[in-house]
Amino acid sequence: MFRTSPALPRSSALVLGLALCTSACVTVTPAERRQLSTPEMTPATDAEEEVWHTHVEAAREAGFGGHGSAGGGCGCG
Amino acid sequence: MLAVLVLWALPRPSAGEDRVIVRGNYYREASTRVLQPEVDVEVDVPDERLSLGTAYVLDAISSASIASGTAQVTGGDQVFTEIRHEVSGRVGSRLGEWALGGSFRYSTETDYIARGVNVGASRDLLQRSMTLGLSYAYNFDRVYRIQANTRVRAPWCGGSIDVDRCRSDGRGDGSNLHQVHYVAATYAHAWHRTLLGMFTAEVARSRGPQDNPYRGAQIPTSEVELHPLSRTRMALSGSARWAVPRTPLVIEPRYRFTADSWLIRTHAIDPRIHVRVLDHLRLRARYRYYRQTASFICLDEGADVMDDGASFYCSTADGSFATADPKMGAFHSHTPGIQLVLELDAIASVRGLAWLEGGWLEATYNHVFQTNRYGNARLGALALSLAF
Repeated sequence: MFRTSPALPRSSALVLGLALCTSACVTVTPAERRQLSTPEMTPATDAEEEVWHTHVEAAREAGFGGHGSAGGGCGCG
Repeated sequence: MLAVLVLWALPRPSAGEDRVIVRGNYYREASTRVLQPEVDVEVDVPDERLSLGTAYVLDAISSASIASGTAQVTGGDQVFTEIRHEVSGRVGSRLGEWALGGSFRYSTETDYIARGVNVGASRDLLQRSMTLGLSYAYNFDRVYRIQANTRVRAPWCGGSIDVDRCRSDGRGDGSNLHQVHYVAATYAHAWHRTLLGMFTAEVARSRGPQDNPYRGAQIPTSEVELHPLSRTRMALSGSARWAVPRTPLVIEPRYRFTADSWLIRTHAIDPRIHVRVLDHLRLRARYRYYRQTASFICLDEGADVMDDGASFYCSTADGSFATADPKMGAFHSHTPGIQLVLELDAIASVRGLAWLEGGWLEATYNHVFQTNRYGNARLGALALSLAF
């Protein structure tokens, strides 16, 4: 039933595949992760805000996800 | 809610602390205002091998009457306020390289009862440089309609189902059950000591009433809103965080693409810049551009229907489907936003304030400029988090 442009998913898959191939085995050792452990580099610090944005976007936009959300779809809220 | 699971599965700087977060969210547009206080508590018992969390959310939604078809500014004569209560509980466990989690959510308001369960697992690889995660959620909601004249609550099975045939139990076309099955796969990888990447693929399949029981008055060609009873949606999203060397900057590009079986495609570009202004003060600026195409319901009306900002409705040529939902039409929006976070360690060394250590205070403001009937909107939030 998806009638999206075939070019977009194909090119997206290619870019994703290339990114995964070139980065698949990169290892950053624990000693090198000081900068990665700061709050601004940590996606989990946004969890509460993402839930709120999910709530608003589910009520006002047809898109979904991006925050890892199930979403509803009726727009009743 | 699943965002909590997906993001909680990733390592946190504060992991290992018990924590309470009190948050107040605010949303306002021309005809709707939402106040949403919430409190979230998470404790480790006794450590990260077992974490328990619970949250309570109150939604106070004030709107101009939908049935009247007007878009009066909140505060007018026909404003009504609806209250929604939501409670949730979650359990998580980190066992070596594995993180496991599960949660349950229950939400109730006058005409909608939502329940959801989800489970997730993630695995760290390459000395925890990479995390792969998989989540599944199942929502099972009951949809009702408040009768305008009697205020009696009656089950709603969708605009295409005769109200006399609609049941509030069971499943299938004659039931008010709305089900969603949802699967998400996440890949997060530290590609460099200053660069983190994240990709997520999501699929959701929903079945049951998906139209609004009150919007019929806004559609001249139909007595009720008529949406299909099933919908399949997919989303691909990617983001990265790059700490610019020798600067206090972190640059975070984000992109999301979605497509669904109602032929709506969406794109969201959401770049952000984080700046550590002072040792304990962070600032984040964002700009989000969102664009979506119209659903199949509106394609018979010509090219992508653009909401004219005053009214919106469209229907298929054969009359099978009709909508007054601005989300079914094409529109775009721009959202600039700013956030300030004060880490309370800055004042925890003051005598008597040691209990603030590990805490933070967050203030966020976003302004939505959009081209549809909802009009421009303001989103704000204030949050306080304390470790204990």
